[in-house]
Amino acid sequence: MRNPRDILKKPIVSERSMDLLEQNKYSFYVDPNANKIEIKHAVQELFNVSVTDVNTMNLKGKTKRMGRYVGRTANRKKAIVTLKDGDKIEIFEGM
Amino acid sequence: MSVNLEKLEGNVVALEIEIEETRMSQAVEKAYQKVSKKVNIPGFRKGKAPRAIVERHVGKEYLNEEALDEVVPEAYFAAVQETGIEPIDKPKVEVVQLEEGKPVIIKATVEVKPEVELGEYIGLEVEKPETEINDEDVINELESLRQRHAQLINVEEGPAELNDTTVIDFEGFVDGVAFPGGAGTDYSLELGSGSFIPGFEEQLVGAKVGETKDVNVKFPEDYHAAELAGKDAVFKVTVKAIKRKEMAELDDEFAKDVSEFESLEELKNDILNRLKQAATQQADMKLKDALVDKAVENSKVEVPEVMIQQKIDNMLQNFAQRLSMQGMKLEDYLKYTNSDMDTIKADYRPAAEKGVKMDLVLEAIAAKENITFTDEDVDAKIEEMAKQYNSEPAVLRQWIENGGNLEPLKNSIKIDKTVELLQEKAVIK
Repeated sequence: MRNPRDILKKPIVSERSMDLLEQNKYSFYVDPNANKIEIKHAVQELFNVSVTDVNTMNLKGKTKRMGRYVGRTANRKKAIVTLKDGDKIEIFEGM
Repeated sequence: MSVNLEKLEGNVVALEIEIEETRMSQAVEKAYQKVSKKVNIPGFRKGKAPRAIVERHVGKEYLNEEALDEVVPEAYFAAVQETGIEPIDKPKVEVVQLEEGKPVIIKATVEVKPEVELGEYIGLEVEKPETEINDEDVINELESLRQRHAQLINVEEGPAELNDTTVIDFEGFVDGVAFPGGAGTDYSLELGSGSFIPGFEEQLVGAKVGETKDVNVKFPEDYHAAELAGKDAVFKVTVKAIKRKEMAELDDEFAKDVSEFESLEELKNDILNRLKQAATQQADMKLKDALVDKAVENSKVEVPEVMIQQKIDNMLQNFAQRLSMQGMKLEDYLKYTNSDMDTIKADYRPAAEKGVKMDLVLEAIAAKENITFTDEDVDAKIEEMAKQYNSEPAVLRQWIENGGNLEPLKNSIKIDKTVELLQEKAVIK
């Protein structure tokens, strides 16, 4: 299996992600190639919790242009991970 | 909140104030509310970020500082009230302890009003100033009234006499050449008024209407136009008219004309009364001044620098206001008089120092003698002022309150009362 740190890129800090914390749901940007099962295992291993559900969504990168050069920002994948009741991920506390 | 007062040397006190933790956390919460509405944090709309995120974003110290800005003045003023000190300057505030879960301790050092060592102020001996009004004063007053009400009567032919007013055209020549500013037409010149070069007016005495006369004069050595000073000049003067001052006879008729009185006797009495009133008022003021001066002299007080500076600023402000009433700016005034802010401040200094000292001493006396005043006193004073300004007492009161001048007014009433007390107890010779 791949290293969990390669799958989970960073936590999402936004209004929505903060609200979801109340439902015991944690949001991450993950490797776009990772699937739900991989994400579940990565979170369980890294934070020592049990995951009950994983929802993912793909975000297409935007085309950006700088004068006549056209570029693209990277595609991303978001994952919203639901934990078993009572489990917590400490790094989100006080964030 | 608890306060610890400590006296330092030279009219300085240190206040150690302890602020409860709950009050502080309240303030921090408020600070967070305020800050979160202002800062832009990616991922959040303004004001929507949770406290932890805002704290991480702007730093905890920033929030604490904001909170202290609110808490410290509040605590300071409460402490001032509690200890009853009278600060005359802004305090220097130091934060001694600021930790979560512990009360905040701040230390404020501030200069306070100095203590006055009162000297003798009861039974001061002063001389009674002169208040005599004699007949001569009345006659002088009447004479000036006559002068003011004199009428100019055209004299048909002349010749002109001293104190007549002549209407003249003139043109001046130096060495046969007309010089600038040396000509005028229809100029009203009162002979003997000294408004022209010496010798000019005297030579017109005896001139007749319609006559053209050469007037030979010498410009004075200190004449303001340097190129003319000391030069001989010839003025061609045409007298166009001569007017003579006609003074009314001092009789009942005159009295009727210049006043609402029927007879000269009544007018005289009125003048006498008015003069007497003015004289007693003046004497009263002089007496009070002398008393206050003495009381101040007898007392010992160290006048703090800050108070002097404040007084100077105050005086300057008053001065600027008076200037602006005449449509002038302080800066312009400084330019005209060729001085600057520092010199003018230095000029004011002795007066300011004296004024501060006077205020302090009178205040101390008032405190010692337990001088109080009632709301009626304030009302009476306002009514009196309203009469002077020709307005309604209620309107004036509103105006004073809006301008934040009620306290100073109360203060001045207190000082007036103190001075009255001095006068009561004084020995007047």
